Amino acid sequence: MKRRDFLQYATSSFFLPLVLDGYMAKAETNASSTFMKALLELAEINDKILVVVQLNGGNDGLNMVLPLDQYSTYTGNSFRANIAIPENKVLKLNGLPQTGLHPSMTGLQTLFNEGKVSIIHGTGYSNPNFSHFRSSDIWHTAVESDQLSTSGWLGRYLEESYEDFPDAFPNAEFPDPLAVQISSISSTTFNTSGASGALAIKDPDTFARIVGDKPVIDPGTLPDTPAGKYTAYIRQQQTSSVAYAGQLKAASDKGKNLVTYATGNPLAEQLKIVARLISGGLQTKIYYVTLGGFDTHSQQVDATDTTKGEHANLLKYLSDGIKVFMDDLKANGKDDKVAGMTFSEFGRRAISNGSKGTDHGWGSPLLVFGTGVKTQAIGKNPDLKDLDGDNIKIQNDFRQVYASILTDWLGASEATVKSVLFEKSFANLPIFRETVLATEPTSTSLASIYPNPAYDQVVLESEILIPGKDKLTLTDIHGRDFPLQVTYLSNTKILINTFHLSSGKYFVRLKNDAHSIVKPLVILR
Amino acid sequence: MALLDKYDNPLTARQAAHLLRRITFGSSQESITQLAGKTTETVVGFLLSKTTAPGPPKDPANKTFHDLPWGYPATEEMEQNKNDAIRCALIKGWWIGQMLQQKSNIIEKMTLFWQNHFVSTATDVSDARFIYGQYQLLRKHALGNFRTFVIDITKDPAMLWYLNGNENVVGKPNENYGRELQELFTIGQGNYDENDVKNAARVLTGWRPVGFRNTASAEVTVEFRALRHDTGNKIFSSHYQNTVIKGRNGTSAGDLELGELVDMILRQDATALFIVRKIYRWFVQAEISPLIENEVIKPLAALFRNDYEIKPVLSQLFNSQHFYDAKLIGSQIKSPLELVIGSLSHFNQNVPDPVKDRGTYDLFTQYLAAKARELQMEVFDQPTVFGWQPYYDTDFYELWINSTTLALRGAYSDAIIKGIPALKININSLDLAKKVSDPSNPIVLVNELTNYLFAFDLTQSQKDYLIDEILIPGLPRYEWGVEWNQYISNQGDILKRNSVKRKIDNMYQYLLRLAEFQMG
Repeated sequence: MKRRDFLQYATSSFFLPLVLDGYMAKAETNASSTFMKALLELAEINDKILVVVQLNGGNDGLNMVLPLDQYSTYTGNSFRANIAIPENKVLKLNGLPQTGLHPSMTGLQTLFNEGKVSIIHGTGYSNPNFSHFRSSDIWHTAVESDQLSTSGWLGRYLEESYEDFPDAFPNAEFPDPLAVQISSISSTTFNTSGASGALAIKDPDTFARIVGDKPVIDPGTLPDTPAGKYTAYIRQQQTSSVAYAGQLKAASDKGKNLVTYATGNPLAEQLKIVARLISGGLQTKIYYVTLGGFDTHSQQVDATDTTKGEHANLLKYLSDGIKVFMDDLKANGKDDKVAGMTFSEFGRRAISNGSKGTDHGWGSPLLVFGTGVKTQAIGKNPDLKDLDGDNIKIQNDFRQVYASILTDWLGASEATVKSVLFEKSFANLPIFRETVLATEPTSTSLASIYPNPAYDQVVLESEILIPGKDKLTLTDIHGRDFPLQVTYLSNTKILINTFHLSSGKYFVRLKNDAHSIVKPLVILR
Repeated sequence: MALLDKYDNPLTARQAAHLLRRITFGSSQESITQLAGKTTETVVGFLLSKTTAPGPPKDPANKTFHDLPWGYPATEEMEQNKNDAIRCALIKGWWIGQMLQQKSNIIEKMTLFWQNHFVSTATDVSDARFIYGQYQLLRKHALGNFRTFVIDITKDPAMLWYLNGNENVVGKPNENYGRELQELFTIGQGNYDENDVKNAARVLTGWRPVGFRNTASAEVTVEFRALRHDTGNKIFSSHYQNTVIKGRNGTSAGDLELGELVDMILRQDATALFIVRKIYRWFVQAEISPLIENEVIKPLAALFRNDYEIKPVLSQLFNSQHFYDAKLIGSQIKSPLELVIGSLSHFNQNVPDPVKDRGTYDLFTQYLAAKARELQMEVFDQPTVFGWQPYYDTDFYELWINSTTLALRGAYSDAIIKGIPALKININSLDLAKKVSDPSNPIVLVNELTNYLFAFDLTQSQKDYLIDEILIPGLPRYEWGVEWNQYISNQGDILKRNSVKRKIDNMYQYLLRLAEFQMG
C-alpha cells in the first residue's frame, strides 16, 4: 500500500490505531491534529500541476460539444436552427460516435483522439443563478447557490495543505508562488481567509522590472480600522511580490518554449508564459488563465455560415491554445505533470434567441485535459427532449470535478477536500480513474453481503478481512466513487451505512494485502 | 447620538482632505487650506454646487466629431473603424482630463459612479457618438432625479445597443436589459424572479437606437416601433405585488409602459436601499455593519425613496458625523483613477492646454488613460456589465491590489516624481517644501509634508526612518538645515538647487511607494 493511500485510509471513517514509521499514534480520523496534519502534508505534496482555464461570460456548451445522437432535435426550427452547426461539419471523436466537437476545435479533437481529453457532460449546480457575477462567484467559492463565501476553493485548498499559508510565504522551503494567475486582476478562486493565495502577473519580465524594492516597513501594529486592515494587506502583497519577482524571472529566463505559438490568440499567449515557467522549473502548483467574450447574446454565428463567427473564434482560441500548450509541455518532457480544466459560469439556453445568439443557461460540458485523463466521457449528451424550461439539466455537480482533481490529481486527502468543500462530500468522477463497468465480481464465495437489496445499512461478512489493512470502496455503474461510512462489528463483519445512496446498482470493492473482491449491491428506496 | 446627525464643528485640515479625496480625485495643500476651518454646510454646498457642462471633446485639429457621420470622412470601413476607435480614445482621455481639472466639485466623480453603475462599453458599442451622448446623459442626471435617469438611460442609444435592447422585439424577447435593469441598475438580486425578467423584457420590446454607425448621417437618436412591441399584459410576481402592466398599442405604448415599469420597481423599498448602499460604498467604505445599515443606509434610503432626488442624499451623507468618523478616514483603497489623478493633483500638476499645446495635451491625457487601464480601471470599458469588480459587492477594494497592479502603481509614482518632459509632467517638489512652516528643520519638513500627503499619521519610527535613512542618509540631522539654507540664499545656483531637490524627490518616491499612500 502506498503511503498516501494508507494515510487517506487512516483518515477515513475507520477507527483504527495508526502505526507509521515506528511512531504510534491514535488517529481518530482527526486530520486537524498537528501530527496528522504534518503527516498528511508530507504525503499530499506531489509534483503535479493544475492549470485552470476560465471561460468568461457563459460558454455555449451545446455548440461546443455536439449531440450527434439528437441532431434532428438540435437543428429543429423551434430549437436552434439559426445557429446550428451542420452535421457534416462536426468533428468526430474516436470511440464516442454520439458526440462531436465544434468544427473550429481540431486541436482538441486530436488531443481527444490521443486519449488526453475528458468531456464531463452537464456540469453545474442546483438552483442555477443566471447572473454572471453571482454564478462566477459560486464556481469560484464552491458554495451552494444560496450560500456566500469570501474565500475561493483553490485558496482554501492551499491554506489547508500548506501550513501558515499565505502569511508565512514565501519561505526557505517554498520560495516559489504556489499559485500564479496570468492576469492583472486576481480571481476570487484564490482568496484565502487573508491575502490572495495567487500571484497575479502579466508577464514575469516586466514584473521583475517594475516591482521595486520592498519599502522598509515599520513593524509597529496598525490600528484596528479599515485603513489598518487594508494597509496590512498591501504590505503583505509588497513583501511577497518583491520576494517572488526574482524567482519568476529566474524560471522565465531558464525556461524555453519549444514550439511556435501563433500570435493573436489571447489564451495561447497566457499559456505560453505558463509553459515557459513550468519548463524553467518553477515549483508552482496551480496556474490560472482566462479567456473572455463568451456572453454571446447575439450574433454568435456569422450570418451566412454558422460554423464561423464570434463563438467559433473563441472555441478556436481555446482549442488551439490548449493544443499548442500541450505540445510545448511534451517537447519539454513535462506533459505528464500537467492537467488542465476549463470552466464557465454557466452554459447557455438550449433554445437560441432571435438575434442568432443564446441567453444565459444552466448545465454545460466541462473539459479536463492532460495525459493523466482516464475516462473520456463522463455522463451523457444532454437529453434535448428533457429540458428544464429551456435549459439543459445538470448531471454532475461542479464540486465533484473539484474533488476529483484535488484528490486524484493533486493528491489531497479526503479530509482536506471535505474541508475545502465546506464539510460536504462529493462523489469523485472517474476523470483520472479507470471506469469500472459492470464487471463480474470475482471470488464471490469469499464474502457475502446482506440484506441485498439494501435500504439504510448493509453488512459485509467475510473470513478474509484484515482489520487495519482493508480498503473498502463503493462505486456506481458509471465508476463514480461514493464516500463510505463503515464500522467493524467483529473481525469478520463490517457494517456499511447506505442511507446517503440513491436507488440503483453499486459495487462494493474490498481490497487488502491478500485479496481483492467485488460484490454487487442494489439499493432500494 | 445618531450617525447621520449633522457634524457641527469647523473642518480640520485632515477632514477637509478626507472630503476632497472622496468627492473629487484627490487633494493638495491649496485645496485643503481652502476648505479647512469652514463648516460642512458651507463646504459641501460648495462642492455639490451646479456646474456648467464642458464643451464637446475635439480631435487633434480642434474640430468636434460628435456631430459627424460615423467614421467620417473615411469611406472604407476599415478606415472608418480606425477613426471611430481614435475618437473613442479621445473621449476617454478628454474625460480623464476633466477629472483632473475639476478640482473642487463632485460632478465628475459622481458621473464616474453612474458610468460604472449603468455600464455601456465603447468596445461593444463602437460608435464614439453614442458614447459621448451617454456621457452627456450621465453627467446631466448625475445629481438629479433617479426616476428620470432610469427612464432616460433605458432609452439611451448606447445602452440599447450594449444590452441588446435593439434586438428585443415581440415574439423574440432578448432578456439582457430586462435582467440587468433589475439586478444591477435598480433593485438588486433576490428581489425579483425569472418571470419578472421575462416580463420586464416584454415591456421594453420595440425600442431601438437610430443612427448606429451610420456613415451618411450625424443624427443619433432613439425610436419606438409600435409594431415590434409586445402588446400583451405583463404580469409580475409577488416581489412586485403581482403588478400587471397593461399591454398597449400605438406610438405612446413604449413610454407609458416604461414609466409604469420604472414606477413599479422604484415603489419597492429594496430599490432605494440598493442604490444608497452602492453610493455609500463608493464614497465612504465597504463594510456595512448592522449599525450602519440601521442608522445610515435606512434613513438615507427613506429620504431617497420620497422623490428619488440624488443630491439631498449625498448632501446629508457628507454633512453627517458618521462621514467624519476618525476610524473611517483612509478606509478605502484608492481606485486607479484616484491614484493616477490624485497623485498629480497633490503636486498641482495641470492638464496641458488643449488648444495652445494640443500635441502635449493628447499625449498627457492618453498617458493617464493608459495608466488607469493598466491598473484595471478603463472608463467606458468595464470588463463586464457589473462594472469594476471592487465596487460590485461588499468589501472588495482589495481586488484593485495585486502583485502586478501594486508594482505598476509604484512604477507610475516613480515616473511622475522623476518627471516626464514629453508630457510636461514636471513636478516641483521644492514648491511644496517651501510652503512648510520651517523647511530647514527636517522634523517639521517631514511632519508637514506627510500630513498633507497621507490620510493618517505615519508613526514616529517611520518619520525618523524618513529623515535619517531616506532624506539625509548617514548624515547628522543639522546637515539638512545647512543645505537648505544654502539653497535658499543662492536660489540661482543650479547645483545647490538640484542637490536639495534630489533629496526631496527621493523622499517622495519612497513615500508614494508606501502602503499608506494607497489609502484614500
